[in-house]
Amino acid sequence: MANISSTTRPAHLQHHFVDSDQQFDSAKLGMWVFLVTEILFFGGLFAAYVIYRSWYPELFLQASTQLNTLWGAINTAVLIGSSLTVAMAIRSAQTNNNRGVYLNLLITLSLALVFMVIKYFEYTHKFHLGIFPGGNFAPVGEAAEILTHPKANIFFSIYYMMTGLHGLHVIIGIGLMIWLAIKAKNNAFSAEYYTPVEIVGLYWHLVDIIWIFLFPLLYLID
Amino acid sequence: MSHHVHSAVDLWKIGASLLVLTIVTVAVAFVHIPFPYNIVVALAIACVKAYIVATYFMNLKWDEKFNALLLIAGILFVIIFFGITMLDTLTRGPEIIPSF
Repeated sequence: MANISSTTRPAHLQHHFVDSDQQFDSAKLGMWVFLVTEILFFGGLFAAYVIYRSWYPELFLQASTQLNTLWGAINTAVLIGSSLTVAMAIRSAQTNNNRGVYLNLLITLSLALVFMVIKYFEYTHKFHLGIFPGGNFAPVGEAAEILTHPKANIFFSIYYMMTGLHGLHVIIGIGLMIWLAIKAKNNAFSAEYYTPVEIVGLYWHLVDIIWIFLFPLLYLID
Repeated sequence: MSHHVHSAVDLWKIGASLLVLTIVTVAVAFVHIPFPYNIVVALAIACVKAYIVATYFMNLKWDEKFNALLLIAGILFVIIFFGITMLDTLTRGPEIIPSF
């Protein structure tokens, strides 16, 4: 094991790690453990979805007509695009290009905001139709004529919980992107040290994967 | 440092393949494949997309194998969770389905 004196240790290297690679791999391992807990966290909601879809398949056919496939598909494309730009930001860091990191993170940030704005319009449109979660569910007008199933509120409770928790993750991701963009602006990253970009990247890709499953399960029920 | 650096072209190809699969999954939904194969096809496409993201964007292909093992273990436990839960919920009489 190399004996690195304190004078040759890079500034980013914490004292309890042998070298940058060990620090990088430890951080990634920790992040993957966290992502597994995230998968199980969302797994509970997916279980609720599976249980109720198996009990009331006709409810899901009826209620999903209230979700707009076009906006769902656009949001899927937006998130895939943001995953691409996060990967580009990591590539920029690996090639010592802090400006590239900064610009790619800004694009990611913009795409995340586009996602949330679309989500906002989807939610407010449903609220306007009286489609609230749980006990507040009271559809009006055309929505009331379509949503005749006695358990219609269940579908929307599941919809709001799943997309809401996912949306919360997107908002946290936006915060993380701002933090990283400021660091990149201050030339904090290099091929030797870009752990935060890599870790946030993993988080962002998982948020993308969860939406990849939410989109067909909620919007594409024909 | 032996971190895998993707070429920009490769990243664009990965992104493009995910977009194409998104278009395919939307198109397939309009074809009206009979139940239950519509769900099978939709989930199969979603799994392929998730596999592409995990393998190439999340770098599992070049990463420490232990990280991939963690992901597989997580998925395995979700399957166990779903399986045991549905052994219960699918075998109840209609009178035991909760009112909510």
